[in-house]
Amino acid sequence: MLVVKRKEGESLLIGEDIEINIVSIENGSVKIGINAPKNITILRKELYKEIEEENKNAVNIDTSMLKSLKKR
Amino acid sequence: MKLQTKYHGIQEYSEKDVIFFKKGIPGFDNLTKFIIFPVKDNEVFSILHSIEDSNIGLIVTSPFNVMSEYEFKLSDETIKRLKIEKAEDVLVINTVTLSSKPENITINLRAPIIINIKEKLGEQIILNNEKYLIKHPLFKEEL
Repeated sequence: MLVVKRKEGESLLIGEDIEINIVSIENGSVKIGINAPKNITILRKELYKEIEEENKNAVNIDTSMLKSLKKR
Repeated sequence: MKLQTKYHGIQEYSEKDVIFFKKGIPGFDNLTKFIIFPVKDNEVFSILHSIEDSNIGLIVTSPFNVMSEYEFKLSDETIKRLKIEKAEDVLVINTVTLSSKPENITINLRAPIIINIKEKLGEQIILNNEKYLIKHPLFKEEL
């Protein structure tokens, strides 16, 4: 992994069309501005991890309980 | 063709039924070919089953059963990737997490699975709208 030190207000360019801007740094939180083409998906990693987890939860081997839910 | 699934019996399918998920599905990034079939005992639910891994079948249902006003906008990129031409060709399904207690059964409204049923192309998208929960109760509270 490439590690770069940046100050508030400074930017990074990734390739030709992605710009990462350090907007502000406060109390251990970094506010980041991102300019990227629309086809690039930008997600908080935790959210992606949660979706992964939930997809794994949806692989349930016992669907027999669905039978009793039929009338609802 | 026959798919011997580990938990959902033998499923008959033909090549034209296979839905291609180019990017895989989060958590199962290496699986790209799925078929969908109704749950035997309750056809409100379906199984989105990998044909590459006999263990992996996700329980899914239509979100509109749960929330009739469920809506989101597909990005132009998704429309392009899935070659969507008409709204009627789009199937929206969401994963369901079962629990022995019905009140704990949830549907993931945050990450709908979009399928172009005509082209047999699918993709799971993640919505930015925080109103839609990853664990939305499947049943209303009167239960």
